[in-house]
Amino acid sequence: MTAPLTTVFLVDDHAMVRSGVRAELGDAVEVVGEAADVAEAVAGVRATRPDVVLLDVHLPGGGGRAVLEALRAELPDVRWLALSVSDAAEDVIAVIRAGARGYVTKTISGHDLRDAVARVAEGDVVFSPRLAGFVLDAFAAGPAAPVPEPDVDPGLDLLSAREREVMQLLARGYTYREIGQRLFISVKTVESHASNVLRKLQLSNRNELTRWAVDRKLA
Amino acid sequence: MCPTGGPGHDGPVTTTAPPAGVRADRPPLLRARRGRVLGGVAAGTADHLRLDPVVVRVAFVLLGISGVGVVGYALLWFTMKAAPAGYERPDRPPRASGRQLLGLVALGVLALALSSRLDTLTRGDVVVPLVLAGAGLAVIWYQLDTERTDARSARWGLVVGVLLAGGGLVLLLATTGQLANARNGFVATVVVLVGVVLATAPLWRRLLDSRADERAARIRSEERAAVAAHLHDSVLQTLALVQKHAGDPAQVTRLARGQERELRSWLYAPRTAEGGTWAGRVSELVADVEADHEVAVDPVVVGDLDVDDAVEALARATREAVVNAAKHAGVATVDLYTEVTPSAVTVFVRDRGAGFDPDRVPEDRRGLRDSVVGRLQRVGGTATVHTAPGAGTEVELVLPRRTT
Repeated sequence: MTAPLTTVFLVDDHAMVRSGVRAELGDAVEVVGEAADVAEAVAGVRATRPDVVLLDVHLPGGGGRAVLEALRAELPDVRWLALSVSDAAEDVIAVIRAGARGYVTKTISGHDLRDAVARVAEGDVVFSPRLAGFVLDAFAAGPAAPVPEPDVDPGLDLLSAREREVMQLLARGYTYREIGQRLFISVKTVESHASNVLRKLQLSNRNELTRWAVDRKLA
Repeated sequence: MCPTGGPGHDGPVTTTAPPAGVRADRPPLLRARRGRVLGGVAAGTADHLRLDPVVVRVAFVLLGISGVGVVGYALLWFTMKAAPAGYERPDRPPRASGRQLLGLVALGVLALALSSRLDTLTRGDVVVPLVLAGAGLAVIWYQLDTERTDARSARWGLVVGVLLAGGGLVLLLATTGQLANARNGFVATVVVLVGVVLATAPLWRRLLDSRADERAARIRSEERAAVAAHLHDSVLQTLALVQKHAGDPAQVTRLARGQERELRSWLYAPRTAEGGTWAGRVSELVADVEADHEVAVDPVVVGDLDVDDAVEALARATREAVVNAAKHAGVATVDLYTEVTPSAVTVFVRDRGAGFDPDRVPEDRRGLRDSVVGRLQRVGGTATVHTAPGAGTEVELVLPRRTT
């Protein structure tokens, strides 16, 4: 790495998780601060302006989503990676829609976590298999009810066949490199498919997606 | 023979029968809920005295002519405890039929006619309003005494009761020529009552609020107790086991994973925890495999459907594929992905382990061939194995869905 070390800010309400993550990140990055709740996180991130914020989905004072909503417009250069034990799809999707560039579970290995932080710092998108599954689930209801809304790009509401394929392979546990080999495309192309999916997930405001979230909440 | 209301417990209360030597095995004196005509007083009394309810009812009606029965019945209704909700009457729980009710009313009217003919007929114009008012009261009591939540019919019953009672009262006042006085008194009473209600309004308000608070607190504490019970049975037990096996990392990891999955399904997916759906089956089989083998499986499930025989076969094949990966791949994690689409259910089981050469599998190793491929073919599905030595293994299972 030619540039100075990536700076990372940790937000998690459990001190044990923070120290564990810190230990796993090791010397690969520079941890510039920690926070345990929303107010602390907003102040800390504003003060330190890190490259990457590792953000817990569940936080006292409004959740990771509240931190994102408070700072995203103000600090567009900061990248956010959601880190959680939560399986609740609607929580994860909410944080992604609020602007996180990826989602990994806390059971992730140290190596994979360092890798994920590095990729998010470079502007990539990090899909864990589980997140890919959530995305597929969210867009699955798909063409059944094509209600065209006038001022929304209809392309946002559906995944292209290629994007679906990429998401399915991610959910099956493939890495970007393996997906590229399998589909005979470059890793860069795989990455751009992934960030397209993320963009659709963030920008699409179609009814399906909201209804899906409501269904999950009720389930 | 006058039924005097006791102080309202189920001890021996003097009623129409000789009370001497109340046997210990006598059923308690409780107002019956089932098979009652009015308040369940007669039925309850009959149960207690081991008599036929009809006899007691007739006795009450006959006594009612002189007024004693009515007062006694009302007193008993007021003082006798109602039977608890699930209370089974000791013997012969007959339904009080409409015919019986009609018969009783007819008997009452007849007796009344006879008695009023014998009595001074001049008081007859007081009797009708009194009967009306009494009937209205009885209807009101009857409606308020149920635990039915069928509010609609109860409300209509109440309206009828109030009309009856009010009509009877007005008629009574009119026939005795007290209507004008009563009106003045009534207005004064209403004014006083409204004043009292307004003056004490904050008190009522506070009473209602504190009732609601109490209710909320009770619900909260019940919920808390349920959560505590669950945590005790699961998390605390597991933590105790973890402490015991602190020296055995593999065991601790397995315990922690098992507990994590259990807690997750309890917190986030009560539906899948019940089973009966594909997602539920998948998490079950993953739990099974993880309990028996030292491997972590992270299932990703997209979509869901109900389990039928074919899906059950797919679940078994999936389990076999995961077990194979756990046994032979020599890795700590296995990826499991399954997607339900309108046309098919697909399953991918993938490991990054040793892999193998499919052409060189010995004949006696039949796990994949029989349990996975054969099983799926029988229900119309297909199984494909992608593998090569050193490149890991991926088993792909496809079960087409029947179009219904």
